[in-house]
Amino acid sequence: MKRAKDQEVSGGKLRPTVVPEARQQRKEAGDWLKQRRADAGLSQVALAERLGMKYYTFISQVENGFSRVPTEAMEAWAVQLGLEPSEFAKHLLVYYEPELYRLLFGKKK
Amino acid sequence: MSVLTFERKQDGELWSEAELHTLLASLDAALGSEDGRGWETGMTEKGDPQFYLLGSLPDQACQLCVSRIGGRYILEDGAGRLLFEHSSLPLVALHAKAAVSSRRWSVVARIVLLWCTVRHTLHDKVEPLLFESEEIFVHLAPKFAAFA
Repeated sequence: MKRAKDQEVSGGKLRPTVVPEARQQRKEAGDWLKQRRADAGLSQVALAERLGMKYYTFISQVENGFSRVPTEAMEAWAVQLGLEPSEFAKHLLVYYEPELYRLLFGKKK
Repeated sequence: MSVLTFERKQDGELWSEAELHTLLASLDAALGSEDGRGWETGMTEKGDPQFYLLGSLPDQACQLCVSRIGGRYILEDGAGRLLFEHSSLPLVALHAKAAVSSRRWSVVARIVLLWCTVRHTLHDKVEPLLFESEEIFVHLAPKFAAFA
């Protein structure tokens, strides 16, 4: 059997019917990163190459909202996307740690 | 360092039922726990399929990701660390299982994995060489015998 073209399949007997907020926010972060990558004129492969990765699959993992950009890699991602590292990290904090962002900067973006 | 990309087969971009079954069978124990773990599939920009094993609620972050690129399976953790890669999905699934297993079983799992990896390597690399040597020997033996 082959899956549908966009193959968004999920499973797990205990999968909740509502997507948890953390996952939803990671997805929003992924969409934002995807847009920034497009603005930089890079493909997932090209970005992975610039970040010194053997495979480009982690870029997709992050953009699809299943993983975060690791803190130790944020500066490199920002540089390759042509963004200011501190602003880049600050923006990702909005999605990854909204409560921490609120405590640090006093408001929700 | 250059990123490895492969030419995709025309109809090879989606997970087959057999591939999903192999992955789910290996990760059954992890998925059966009562903490809301689950799995999802997705695709890369180039249409290569990905399988995500999600962690427990409320975060449900990716713990492991298996991607298939040009017939090769790539196992990464949720931080993008490359854990294993091979053309055999059962072997990759075994590594995935070991990666999510408890510490108590990790030594046993590592020994089993090492054994499986050695067996696969022998099968893939050494056996063809032995076979080739055997053929050469069979071919040359009568000639040496004639000289003797």
